[in-house]
Amino acid sequence: MLKSLNFQDMRKKALIALDQRTRAITAGLGLDELRAVVRGDPPTEKPNPRYKVHTTSFLFHIRPRYYEKGSTIFAHTFRLGFFTSFFFFVEVLTGLILMIYYTPSPSEAYGSILELMSNVPYGQVLRDLHRLGAEGMVIFTVLHMLRTFLTGSYKKDRSFTWLTGLALLGITLFLSFSGYLLPWDQLAYWAVTIGTSMAEAAPLFGEQVNLILRGAPDIGAGGLLRFYLIHVVLFPLLAILIISVHYYKVSREHGISLPGKIEEGLVSPEVKKEAKQRIDFIPDLLTHEVFLTALGLFVMVAMVTVGNWHAELEHVANPQVTPLDTKAPWYFWWLQGMLKIDPAAIIEGLFSRIGLHVELSALLNSKQIMGIVVPTILVLLLVAVPYVDRNPHRTLFKRPLAVALGLLFTLAIIVLSYMGLPQYGIQTPAATRIIQDLAPEEGIGPIRAVPYDQLRVGVYEVSDTIPKNLCPDLNTGCPEFTRVFAEFSERVNEAATNEHLQPYQRMPNANAVLLVEDWQTDLRKVTLRIVWDDVTSGESKTYERHLFIHRNHGAE
Amino acid sequence: MSRVQLEITLGILLVLATGTLLIYQGLNEEQRMAGFLERQEAQAIEVGAELFDINCKGCHGPQGEGTPGLCPPLNDKYFFTDRMTDVGASGSVEDHIVATVSSGRLASTRPELYPGNVKPAMPAWSEAYGGPLRADQIRYIAAYVMNWESTAPERGQAPVLAGPAVGTDIMQELPAGDAAKGQSLATSQGCVGCHVAGNTGPAWMPTADQPGIGDRAATRFSEPDYTGNATTPEQYLLESIVEPQIHIVTGFDTVQMPATYGQLLTAQDASDLIAYLLTLK
Repeated sequence: MLKSLNFQDMRKKALIALDQRTRAITAGLGLDELRAVVRGDPPTEKPNPRYKVHTTSFLFHIRPRYYEKGSTIFAHTFRLGFFTSFFFFVEVLTGLILMIYYTPSPSEAYGSILELMSNVPYGQVLRDLHRLGAEGMVIFTVLHMLRTFLTGSYKKDRSFTWLTGLALLGITLFLSFSGYLLPWDQLAYWAVTIGTSMAEAAPLFGEQVNLILRGAPDIGAGGLLRFYLIHVVLFPLLAILIISVHYYKVSREHGISLPGKIEEGLVSPEVKKEAKQRIDFIPDLLTHEVFLTALGLFVMVAMVTVGNWHAELEHVANPQVTPLDTKAPWYFWWLQGMLKIDPAAIIEGLFSRIGLHVELSALLNSKQIMGIVVPTILVLLLVAVPYVDRNPHRTLFKRPLAVALGLLFTLAIIVLSYMGLPQYGIQTPAATRIIQDLAPEEGIGPIRAVPYDQLRVGVYEVSDTIPKNLCPDLNTGCPEFTRVFAEFSERVNEAATNEHLQPYQRMPNANAVLLVEDWQTDLRKVTLRIVWDDVTSGESKTYERHLFIHRNHGAE
Repeated sequence: MSRVQLEITLGILLVLATGTLLIYQGLNEEQRMAGFLERQEAQAIEVGAELFDINCKGCHGPQGEGTPGLCPPLNDKYFFTDRMTDVGASGSVEDHIVATVSSGRLASTRPELYPGNVKPAMPAWSEAYGGPLRADQIRYIAAYVMNWESTAPERGQAPVLAGPAVGTDIMQELPAGDAAKGQSLATSQGCVGCHVAGNTGPAWMPTADQPGIGDRAATRFSEPDYTGNATTPEQYLLESIVEPQIHIVTGFDTVQMPATYGQLLTAQDASDLIAYLLTLK
């Protein structure tokens, strides 16, 4: 009976069976073909089985069978669109895991983040990756759009793709913004309060929009749940839908654009011919994408582990205490910057130069104009770009006006973002500014960064002579503490003596003191106090802040 | 090597590198989580200290030393050792603090020592019971109070007087007073909590609107709206200390000061204190 078994035959049959299983899984690629794919060899069968995958496999049918070589030039795309979607996938995956540990309720949310950080292995890594991915997605979306604009890739049949891209920019910003609230810390609470209050500026429906977003006049349990659902259900679904539309247009309708100079024949026919060559998706582009994914993951993981990049977590949200220097997320600074501009005052100023006195502030409500009207115009401008720009050329030098306007727009956003910083255009009194800079209400700041043992108990008075060493009795001295005290002294002295400063920056006859008291086991109380005479009234004023610093607070 | 092969090779190396980083991170996770917990506890104490400073020190003292007759000390060994048994509370001391701060106390558990003078003896602090604080803030305060446990001194249950208590007779002859001793009594008896540091009671120190308590005492008893029985500045001050409810100073609705100082001070103490107050012009 054994004789009737033919081992060679069995081996062949097993191979055939294995090959068939493989083909079923890979949608048409056999074992030999797979080997050829990873070796970079040409197809082993005819017709090319690698193309068949694109018709039989769902995941591959949305991918193109090939790109033109010219459109894959690195300096043309910088892979910005790829990385934007890469970040989206990172967000979905990390977000799904983070949802397990999160409770969307004001009394639980912050605690669940602390629990994630202190009691979940890789909890911090997950949170950092999610935050880093969100920042990356915003940055790469904007850069991708800028690239598309500069290479003129929004023209003709790509105009609708530009529109879907704009929609994705909006979705990305709001995905990121809605996630901002979820940790329920001071940063989250006040950034979102500022953000939603911008919506309030809209006439007629502003108050309603605000109420719908916040769930109540102030953000509370209702608002948190709404932001949570927007963040984990509504916007991800919208994003998947519009990313699909956006990508389908790119992959199936018009492909990635060729660089302008190649498309317009500004290069030699040979170069153009080469640029028109096809690069197959399998294996070249697929390999490239897997490689980029590995690269992206490596960079992200390296940043959040050895690179020490961590998502911030401030104190738990406190609706009763607005921290000084509250600001919106960085990608909305331009909006905050715009709100600091008062168009009525500017026009009034212009008129008064030619001797006319006009009263415009009643007519032009600056919050409505700068918070709603101007941003709407900016968005409409971006929408209109492919329809207004009728210039058929795509290379930079043949469309100087468009490029100049684009760069101007970018520059304006950067300048406005700078103006949005809390340090710009807000007249914080000198004492508040100095003490806030040294001992901020949120975050670390120089004083908290001083090693605990250097914070020697004592009364340190600011005088003209700045001490070289505050604790000469210590062998190692206390360089960090001395440096912080020197900074405090210098800034107080500057405000006290420099008469060229603005009145709000001056503190005549300033007396300042830094007090360190032993308060409890491993707990010290640091008091910063400045007493000065008000510039205008001459009255004596005092500003002080108390800090409690624990040995293990971890900022050192 | 073709581009595909190069990318496959580099990709594998990158995946291995990423894996190595994650394993390295994983090996340190226990330590990282422990460190985070430690920092979190430290920050809870810091925040608790701030909250205590704003909400609790007026009565329980800046350092938790309490106010005689009004609020028991918290920075007290007894509080951490026997208090739980004495009130029949279950759970941990920290839970007991959270429960008491949250719901307050309707009546004093030790009326002979801390009769208080308002009802409830301690107000409810949790916003769930009409107070101003959230549950997490009360947890922070408890963490801060618990940090006294290892160093709390023995303060003793009842104040031991060096002589007979001064009582409430304001016409009595007092021994000669020492202003310096009076000043230290003002701190140790907790007077400064309300009269100097806070503004729960009339300020002793001179302000822009009025002179110090010494000058005010010199004339107050002769003012027409005065409702007490004093006829000298010394009597007026003694009366204010031992029978605070007899005359309410303009600008204050109720008397928050405990009426027990007559039992807590000797005649010498009272005289020292009065001597000190008279120096505050």
